[in-house]
Amino acid sequence: MHHFRFSQRTVAAVLGVLAVAYTVQAYRIPEFAAVQVPVQPGTLPRGLGLLLIVLCLALFLQKPAPKTTDTSETTDTAPAATTERTEHAATTATTTATTATTATTATTATTGATTATPPTLGRLADARLELAVLLGAIVLYVLLFEPLGFIPATALFVTGTAWYLGFGRHWVNALVGVGVAAGLYLGMSEGLDVALPTGVLPF
Amino acid sequence: MDALNQLFHGFGVALSPQNLAFVFLGVLMGTIIGMLPGLGPISAISLMIPVAFTMDPTSAIIMLAGVYYGAIFGGSTSSILLNAPGVAGTVATSFDGYPLARKGQAGKALSVAAIASFVGGTVGVVGLMLVAPSLSALTVSFGPAEYFALMVLGLTAVVTLSGNNLTKGLISGTVGVMIALVGIDSQTSTLRFTFGRHELYEGVEFLIVALGVFALAEVFVMLLRRGQGGGDGTITSLRLSRRELKEISGPTGRGSVLGFFTGVLPGAGATVASFLSYSFEKRLAKDGKTFGKGNIKGVAAPESANNGAAVGSFVPLLTLGVPGSGTTAVLLGALLVLGVQPGPLLLDEQPDMFWGVVASMYIGNIVLLILNLPLIPLFAKVLRTPQALLLPLVVVFCVVGVYGHSFSTFDLWLLIGFGVLGFLMRANGFPAAPLILGLILGGLMEKSMRQALLISSGDLTTFVTKPISATLLALAALSLLAPLYGAWRRTRRRQGLSEDDGRGQDERRKATAGGTRERKNG
Amino acid sequence: MFRTGRRGSRAAFAAVAVGSVSLLLAACGEGAGAASGGWQPTKPIEYIAPANTGGGWDTLARSSARVMDEADLVSRPMRVVNKPGAGGAIGWSYVAKHQKDPHKLFVTSPPILLVPLAGESDQTYRDFTPVARLNTEPLAYVVKANSPFKTFEDLAAKLKTDPGKVSVAGGSGPGSLDHVGLAGAVQAAGADASKVKYVPFDGGGEALTSLLGGHTDVAVAGGSEVQALVRSGDVRALAVSSEKRSPVLPDTPTLTESGIDYVFDIWRGVMAPKGLTGEQVAYYEKAFRKMVEQDAWKKESRKLGWTDAFLGSEEFGKFLDEQNKEYTGILTEVGLRK
Repeated sequence: MHHFRFSQRTVAAVLGVLAVAYTVQAYRIPEFAAVQVPVQPGTLPRGLGLLLIVLCLALFLQKPAPKTTDTSETTDTAPAATTERTEHAATTATTTATTATTATTATTATTGATTATPPTLGRLADARLELAVLLGAIVLYVLLFEPLGFIPATALFVTGTAWYLGFGRHWVNALVGVGVAAGLYLGMSEGLDVALPTGVLPF
Repeated sequence: MDALNQLFHGFGVALSPQNLAFVFLGVLMGTIIGMLPGLGPISAISLMIPVAFTMDPTSAIIMLAGVYYGAIFGGSTSSILLNAPGVAGTVATSFDGYPLARKGQAGKALSVAAIASFVGGTVGVVGLMLVAPSLSALTVSFGPAEYFALMVLGLTAVVTLSGNNLTKGLISGTVGVMIALVGIDSQTSTLRFTFGRHELYEGVEFLIVALGVFALAEVFVMLLRRGQGGGDGTITSLRLSRRELKEISGPTGRGSVLGFFTGVLPGAGATVASFLSYSFEKRLAKDGKTFGKGNIKGVAAPESANNGAAVGSFVPLLTLGVPGSGTTAVLLGALLVLGVQPGPLLLDEQPDMFWGVVASMYIGNIVLLILNLPLIPLFAKVLRTPQALLLPLVVVFCVVGVYGHSFSTFDLWLLIGFGVLGFLMRANGFPAAPLILGLILGGLMEKSMRQALLISSGDLTTFVTKPISATLLALAALSLLAPLYGAWRRTRRRQGLSEDDGRGQDERRKATAGGTRERKNG
Repeated sequence: MFRTGRRGSRAAFAAVAVGSVSLLLAACGEGAGAASGGWQPTKPIEYIAPANTGGGWDTLARSSARVMDEADLVSRPMRVVNKPGAGGAIGWSYVAKHQKDPHKLFVTSPPILLVPLAGESDQTYRDFTPVARLNTEPLAYVVKANSPFKTFEDLAAKLKTDPGKVSVAGGSGPGSLDHVGLAGAVQAAGADASKVKYVPFDGGGEALTSLLGGHTDVAVAGGSEVQALVRSGDVRALAVSSEKRSPVLPDTPTLTESGIDYVFDIWRGVMAPKGLTGEQVAYYEKAFRKMVEQDAWKKESRKLGWTDAFLGSEEFGKFLDEQNKEYTGILTEVGLRK
């Protein structure tokens, strides 16, 4: 998580800019004049925008919490230091001690992908990239959701992602992917009358 | 005693083997449908209606009552197991239910949920039976001014849900209200923050935000955690020790009563009830600090409240003929087609129907418990799925939930957006709960405020001259000032010492870090 | 603005299109109906409810689909698909994307006119082919039992002299169904509709609750919604908006009986995409005409408080034109026309 943890001032500043943009938008909500109303549609948004600006200022000026260690590291390493990835640990300024252990296990982690329940998820050392891959897979899934249809898109997404993340039993994987997709489709479309996209399949 | 006789008669009808089978079927279907995110009681009931229409009215209503209970419980199941609250009423359940599941205590969390639901439902039915007619007075006593005050009281829970950094909590809450205001303004039909997208005209669906910031964000966190530090699939016994039962009895009892009375008010029933009950218990408990980290009381309180409220929402339906919630609106439609006209005359004109409903609710409730307790280990096995497989499956569930609700890919993009937002919030210590609270209550608050001011022609004193509204606002002020004062004193005492923020497992893990820090400091 | 300009030209085009469909229909006349060998659907019919499950449109779609399937009135199954959002605009803009597709139908009611008039939809009713109007339901103007208003005239008189003192609850936003039904009646009674304090609630249920609690003075809601409360004596219906007295509220006078020349119906019907052939329209028209004669349909309608009011494609089209003119007038006077 530490890759995505920004300094409090940065967060406050970014939020502050967004808050200003929101407030500007709020002031552009037209007044409602057709029927007389005591509270205009723009009143509360304006108030909220201003409140958010004030809160961002407060956050900006607030003394940041003493930077102990990053949340995900402190605790994750404690019970599971052996599975931390090299880079992952190396980038953290805190744990020099764990680097040694992680270096040795990094190799086992990669081979672990072939065992039934691998201890780690994913293939890339850099967590940021890993996240980007998953996000990309989800985006692709949504893109293909309607054109390809629910069953093929879902089966592909589940099987592909699980394979990438290191689920080793490929037959089980494929069965689960297709099974879940078809099962959900049948259940929703036939059983519950909730129509999911049929896409390329003829039914 | 006449009532008692009729209740017995109602039971006689409901207990026939055929009807019992329908209750079982209803509860089972309801639970399964309810577990799918996005398919709450509303969808469950409306989807079962075609089946119901082929049956005789009594059996149909009995089955629908089963579906209703089952769906509510099913919703809690996905909240607890996957952090994927599909219905607003079960959001608060995930606050402690999911951390418990991650600790490997999913079985326990589900048992607590089942028991609390059962108690909440039963307290509700007893209330419905005894005081329903007189309660319609309470229902109608809430006008816009009173609703505004109630929403304000609900929103003060932001403070309780904020963790340690109040500023961040308030920012989350404010953003939540902002999201609530997107769409066509109900009071003036003005477009607000829709950016020309029709999909945003009716606002951002609660479900999308909840699944995004909770379930999808959790998927990202799970990936970064590399599958570590979670429930390793071991499901501890679902039995609760005597001590634990005693522990949850208070929150369950209070939650049930609070839930029932809140549910009687049309509009926000179950959600407001569960949040109020949760934040109330958090303040009340000696170990309130462990709320959000897997405290069974934090499961019992909102679960009993939302089930109590679910039954409470039958009061306006049966006594006034006006639906108090989306679910009861669907039920109203079903009852009408089945030839039951709910309203003030129901009890006089169709007493057997009224008592049939009451009896079937009792039975639905009991069946729920005996059907689901044995099924809990099965549900909890979900967590034994290898994470590499579980991750994409959770994504699929979120996608199906959102798509099955609106049939729009635009909403799927929103889902991804809120997933990323939720993740960034988690990474930077912004709690998600106030965001959801603001989203749920913010819109209602604005709407009722403006309705009240429209009626009073802009006179602000309307909020304090009405006794109920004034009382609720006073309570809100009190609950806002007390913790603020406490927080101020705490910060004075140990300045600069930061503790947990964020929510759920983050908090739990950070709590250990906090502990070490405290030792260092001390 | 660009949008209105575009719509203007499209509306003109659409009018021509609708006109030609009606012509075609007229040309085919009874021929299409008699010759059952005409067009037939070749795959399941997607029957759009532009709202969530459980709403009025959904109920209409699901009950009519059920009756039609059970009575075998269409040769392929009717599959109800919910496309909720934007007061219906999401649903019908989906249908609009499938021009000439004879396997798409959607259920509709006054919002198909009102939402575009409020500037909240890219399509208007002219972008679709009317298939049939199925039923109507009146609006009811109700007060609490102990209210000083005994008749609609009492209310109208008060609204003329002191509109600021009366708040009227309705179940939908300004410019939508309940508001237009109220504003039209108020206008016809000689009061200024834009001065009336109309308080929008989420649905008739909430509006009625606020009336019962004395938070608002008058409520406007569907006839079937107030039925139970009127019978129990909790509320008094001042008038119904239909032309004749409604079977739902037989003791309540109509507005016309109260001396106010105004009729407003919540009508419900079925529309199809633009560009269907005369044969295709005739096929569905005939199917729905038979459907409303089914006992199962009559039974459900009675329970739901719907009054059968079937109109075939052509009459429905004319009816829509008239309604649209009327709504435009009302919304312009209240200042909500965009």
